[in-house]
Formats: sequence, structure tokens, C-alpha cells
Amino acid sequence: MFKVNRNSWWKTSFLVLIALSVVLAGCSSNNQNSQNTKGNNNTSSSGNAGSVPAKEEPLKVSIMSHFFQDTPPDKGGEVQQRMQEALNAELDIQWVSVNNYEDRFNVTVASGDLPELVLVRDPFSSVFRTGVEQGAFWDITPYYKDYGNLTQSISETAWNLTKMKDGKNYGVPRPRPTEGETFFAIRKDWLDQLNLELPTTTDELYAVMKAFVENDMAGNGQTVGFSGYVNPDNMGNFSPFISSFTGANGSSGNVEWKLVDDQLVYVDTLPETRQALEYLARAYKDKLLPADFASLRSSQSVDLYKAGNAGMIVEKGASISEYLSAMSASNSDVDYQVLYPLTSINGYNPRAGGFNGMLAIPKSVPEEKMKRILSMLNTWMSDEAYEIQQWGIEGVHHKVENGKKVIIEEKFAVDSIANYNQIVFKHGPYASSYGDHHPDEMKEAFGKIQEERTKSSVPDYSVGLYSETAQTYLPEIRKKTQDLKIKIILGNKSIGDWDAHVETLKNDTTLNKIIEEINASYNARASE
Amino acid sequence: MNSTVTAANEKTVIPRQKYHLGKRMFRDRYLYLLALPGLLFFLILKFVPMGGIVIAFQNYSHYIGILKSPWVGFDHFIRLFTGDQFWLLLRNTMAISLLNLFFFFPLPIIISLLLNELRSNRYKRVIQTIIYLPHFLSWVIIVSLTFLMLSVSQGVINQVIEMAGYDKYPFLTEPKIFWLMLTLQSIWKDAGWGTIIFLAAMASVDPQLYEAAKMDGAGRLRSMWHVTLPAIRNVVVILFILQLGNIMDVGFEQVFLMGNGAVSNVAEVFETYVYRMGIQQGQFSFSTAVGLFKSAIGLILVVMANYMSKKMGEEGVF
Repeated sequence: MFKVNRNSWWKTSFLVLIALSVVLAGCSSNNQNSQNTKGNNNTSSSGNAGSVPAKEEPLKVSIMSHFFQDTPPDKGGEVQQRMQEALNAELDIQWVSVNNYEDRFNVTVASGDLPELVLVRDPFSSVFRTGVEQGAFWDITPYYKDYGNLTQSISETAWNLTKMKDGKNYGVPRPRPTEGETFFAIRKDWLDQLNLELPTTTDELYAVMKAFVENDMAGNGQTVGFSGYVNPDNMGNFSPFISSFTGANGSSGNVEWKLVDDQLVYVDTLPETRQALEYLARAYKDKLLPADFASLRSSQSVDLYKAGNAGMIVEKGASISEYLSAMSASNSDVDYQVLYPLTSINGYNPRAGGFNGMLAIPKSVPEEKMKRILSMLNTWMSDEAYEIQQWGIEGVHHKVENGKKVIIEEKFAVDSIANYNQIVFKHGPYASSYGDHHPDEMKEAFGKIQEERTKSSVPDYSVGLYSETAQTYLPEIRKKTQDLKIKIILGNKSIGDWDAHVETLKNDTTLNKIIEEINASYNARASE
Repeated sequence: MNSTVTAANEKTVIPRQKYHLGKRMFRDRYLYLLALPGLLFFLILKFVPMGGIVIAFQNYSHYIGILKSPWVGFDHFIRLFTGDQFWLLLRNTMAISLLNLFFFFPLPIIISLLLNELRSNRYKRVIQTIIYLPHFLSWVIIVSLTFLMLSVSQGVINQVIEMAGYDKYPFLTEPKIFWLMLTLQSIWKDAGWGTIIFLAAMASVDPQLYEAAKMDGAGRLRSMWHVTLPAIRNVVVILFILQLGNIMDVGFEQVFLMGNGAVSNVAEVFETYVYRMGIQQGQFSFSTAVGLFKSAIGLILVVMANYMSKKMGEEGVF
């Protein structure tokens, strides 16, 4: 009997184990079921209730976006509470640091567990493209025109440029001004001290940087003419130097295509790029650039400028606030002159595409809910709802002086409210040059610069163009070229090595195929 | 029920070898039950995910899943082996690994030999604690410290060099010394930690051997050479074999964090390449193929080293 008992005990325990695992598995699928039913409830109730949103149950929506600054906004913070009330929604926002958003996006896509509203930073990356081709995201072309704010606050250009290969929109573009794009900004207060004019050509630029360094404007022997960083596969913040020579614009650091006689030419093979490299190598030798620029991270290069050690940086006028607050810690006299945008160099300044990434909705979201998300974005873009993130809470984030709202910068920055702009952003035409809360004097000066820039700004002709070969092989070509560029600037390789490299590039069959495909794609779009 | 009784009876009569596997398993059922959680762990978390390796032979797309992704055979491997990145990656990986093997590997043995000879236990413990400490710092911190010490504009060491009247040296952007920097960092971080195993092995040496050696007139160096080292020889061999298996792994974090534009042609290794291709650019199939190649080399090296050490009369790992 004893044996029998032991046997049955063994069986029982095994059964218990199996039962347990079944229950556990059941649990998780139950969860899903219950979530699904919840989701369905939400959406089924919304189906007929679109006209009376006030009575609807709040829309639960998960969002993934990136954030700038040190910390993301507080989920339970009062600003978000108020926004949720205004939107009649429960926002579950996953804030991902801007430094590794691309990685996170790719991994999230690969895991198949996408949030219901996703920031797609590069609508033309291979990962998103394949997703679109394989039907993983909602085509919102038939729907978005039903929502007034989506078409009013977002320019038609932005909608057009974010169209995928099939001519349809798979996301709501995040609108950005087309003018006032990130470009050189200079310490005008230093220029004034030295009685120098604002530079307009690369030679003048060089002379100005040299004057800054020779006169040690920082006063600690650490002055550099320019502060910037490079990426492993492109020139990062140094690309405006090269663009000033080539006159070609690109996006996210990759400046690769110049329109010459209706043909897109690969800029690294142009003699102007060679000139630019010689220019930078000379600048490095003359100690106008940070000695360790090749190992600087983006934030480190910004810190160098904030510490008052650099005479020039690549920035937008509207980003001045954080520089001002950092610099005023050591010198309370500073004003907007410390980040003064240059108009153009050699007649070149970049024009933006009118959008910066977009928000996509995965196909796993039911149609009704997708519509409700669009409607939520529509509400978010209304003045009443947008005002909450624009100004924060009265008495906390802004105060009213003489009937005008004034931002309390410190608290506004600490609660990092500006990060909601990463999801929904509304802007006037000057938003890249200055914000509403900036002093009038600065608005006037920066506004004039922007108007001047508009006359000569160069768009990125390659935006949205597609080449299958480029997706696979261009990154390696980029990296190899970038390695050489850095070595030439550091003086480890000679310009002769560059000529040899350009010769190989010109004969590279892969690159020639890429050039062919990009041009075919360009012509196809032009003929539309 | 009868059968269980007879089975139990038979156990005492029939010699072990004649049992069927099933019966033997049944007899040792509690041991198996005990092992079950561990087996499940390996099965579910280690073996099942390995099925994902098939994407190395597909043009995997996450939107349509593993089952429906088109099959491409060895295309990704061909791209890897014929691409001009391959030799660069192999050279960098091997260089970093071999430098580690030659300079880093013997150090813990030497340190533990030295520690073993210390008379004062208190002093020995203090030293041990101090040299273990860096192991617990993450690479992020160590790399930041390196930057603080060595960068051209702010680095302490460069400031000292400048004060001494010499030219500053670009430690972080000089490709020639990049591998050496990595090895030195690894030594600083983990040489102390590595002594633990050797010290434990030395502690188990029979003190009588030392006494006998002393009687025979052996000095300290002699007994170190003829008693301590032979006693820990098999530990050294086993660790060496394991180290060989890792020869293609140079540690992603360290290399990735230390890398920058100026040194990238000596800093690109298989691991950073997989990250760049797979995570950053979403070429999952290709990067899986790279990873698979890397693991295969590691496996071959371990098996070979194990075979060699058995040939030479040492115990292997398996």
C-alpha cells in the first residue's frame, strides 16, 4: 500500500504541475481576452457616440514617444490629468529617451507588441517600410480628412511628403515649420566685443572662429571656434560645414544627394566635399575645433557651448532657453545674443520638410478604436486642449502679467512639459526661430533672420526616395567614408587618400546601383 | 499495482545494467522530479528560443512571422563572408581576444600566487577586497572614468603631461593604442576578481606537500613551482578552454562605449556589428547569421581545446 501511495502521490504532483501550467497559461490568455473585450466595449460604445463624446467612457490608449531633457513628464502629474480630462482619454505613454529611440522602436516592432499610437521617427526606414508593405499599419488616407484640425494644423506638404511608396498616408505627420531649420548659431556677443561682422562665407566663418580662439574669448585658454559631434556613420553636427560647400541638404545628419540638372548626385564624390574636408582639417590643426570632437557625445558638445567655451554651435533659435538658463548661472548679463542664428553661409541654408516623423497606428488596433485615436489627436490639436501643454497650470508653470501669460521657465523645465510637444505639436511659421514666451526684441531679430533665410533655403530633395540596395549596403559605404573623413580631419590620413577613396566610390558597382535606383525613384515621384 | 510491487522487488535482485531506461527512470523518479524544474528551465528558456536561429536562413520579417518569411538559404552568410567588412571584423575581434588571452589571462594566476604567499591573513584580505572592487563597477562607469582621465581637453593625465612640458596625447582617438586600452581596462576591472577561483584551488592543496617540500630543502619559489602550480594546473586548463570558447566574444559594452569615429576601424567587432545591423537597422536575419557564425566558431574552438587537453592527459570540461 505504501508503494501505491507513493506512486499516486507522484502522479498527483505531476498532475498538479500540469494543471498549474495550464491555469497559468489560461490566466495570461484570460487577461488578453478581458483586455480585448474591454477594448471592444470601448470601441463599440464609441461607434455611434462619435457625436456626443462627453458621455463616452474615456479612451484608453497606449503611446510610445521619445523625450528630450533629463526626465520624462510625470504620468500622474496634474498637467497630464488635465489633458486627459480635456481629451476624455487615459494616456499610457511610454517615454523613451531620444538617444536610443530608434533601437527601441526596432526592437518593439520585432517583438510584435506595438503600442496603439507609435512615433515613427523615420517614415522611410526599412523597418517601417516593410511594415507598411506587409500591412502592419493603418492606412489613414480615407479617414484623416474627416478631422478638421488634422488638416488645418498640419500642412499639406507634410501630408504629401510622408506618403509612402503607394501614395498613401500611414501616419499623422508631426508638423514642424519649414523655415528656421537647425543651422549655425554664433556667440554674437563675442563678435560685438571683437567688432566683427556676422560671417556669410566659409572664409569669413574661418576668420571669425580663429579670432575667437586667438583672443581666448572664454578666458580660460579653452576656447574653441565651434562645438559639435560626429556620428559613427555621418558628420552629425559638422555636416552644415560640408553643406555650405556643396549646397546640398539632407536629413538626420546624412547629407548625400545634390540635385544637379535634375539628377541626384552622390555628394561625397563632388570636389566641394573634398574642399570642405581640407577646410575642416585646417580648422582642426589650428585648434578651432575641440581636440577630442571625434569622441564627444551630442550632449557633451552642447555642454561645451553652455559652459561658454565655444563660439559656434549648430542649433535652432527656438532652443535658446536651455542655453540661456545654463549660461546665466555664471553670468547674469547674457541675453539672446549668445545663440544668434546665422542667415546663410556661401548662400546656403537648409529648409526643413515641414514634418518630423509621424504617428502611426498598428493594424492590431480595431478600426473603431483607430478612428477614436484620430479623433483624440484632433481634439488634442484644438486650442483648448493644446493650451494645457503649451502653458501648463496657472500659478505653477505660468503667471499672468498685464493680461499676458508668462512662462515660469524653471518649473516648466523641471516638469518637462515641453515633451508633450513630441506627441502633438502646433506651430506658427516662426516656431523654429522662437517661442511665444521669448522677449519681443529677440522675436524681431530672429524673425528677420528667418525671413532672410527663406529666400535661399535649400530643401532635401532626397526625402522619401527609396532604393532597395541602399537599405542594405549604403550604411556600410557611409561608415567607411565617415571613418576616412574623421581621419583626414584629425590629420591621420592625407587628402590624397580621399581622392583614392572617391575614385573607388565612383567605380563601385553597388553605389552606382544605389544612385540609379534613387534617381529612378526621384523621377517616378516627379512625374506624378 | 502488482507490477510496481514486483518492480520494487526486482530492484534488489537484478543488476543495474539490465534495467530498461524507462524502469530506471521510474526507480529514480524523485531525482527526475527534482531535476524537472531545471530541465524545464533549459528547455523553455534555452532550447526553444534556439529555434529562432532559422531566421538566419530566411528573409525574416516580423510582421509576417517566422513561419511565413521567405527562405533564402545561405544568402546572408554569403553576404557576410564576401563583404569587405568580414576580415576587418575578424581581425579586430581576434586581436582584442588574443591580447586578452596573453596579457589578461595569466595575471590572476600570478596575483593569486603572490597572495598565497602572504603571511598576514589580515593584509591578504584587505588586498583581496580592494582588487575585487572594480569588478562591481559597470562598464559605463569605467569608460566614463577613462574619459575623465584621458580625454585631450579635460583629462587629468593629459593635463599632467602638458604640465611636464610634453604634447598632449590623444589616448581616446588614437587607433594604434585602442586594443591596448581595452586590455588595460579589462585587467583593471577583472584581474582581481579572477583570483578567486585560483585562490580557492590553492587553498585545497594539502599542507603536507609543502611540509614535505620544505623537508627536502625547497625554498619558497621552488615549492611554488613544484607544489602550488601543478596543483592548480587542471583549474588553469579548464578556465583556458572556457576562455577559448569566448574568443569571439569581446564584450559588447566595453568596445561599444569606447568606440568613436576616429578609431572605428579597429573598434568594430562582431558584437557591435550585430547591434548596428540588427537593432539599429532592423536587418534581423543578417545579424542573426553573423551571430550564428560567431557562436559556431566558439563551439569549434571549445571542442578542439577540450580534445587537445584530453590528449595531453588533462581533464577536460566535458
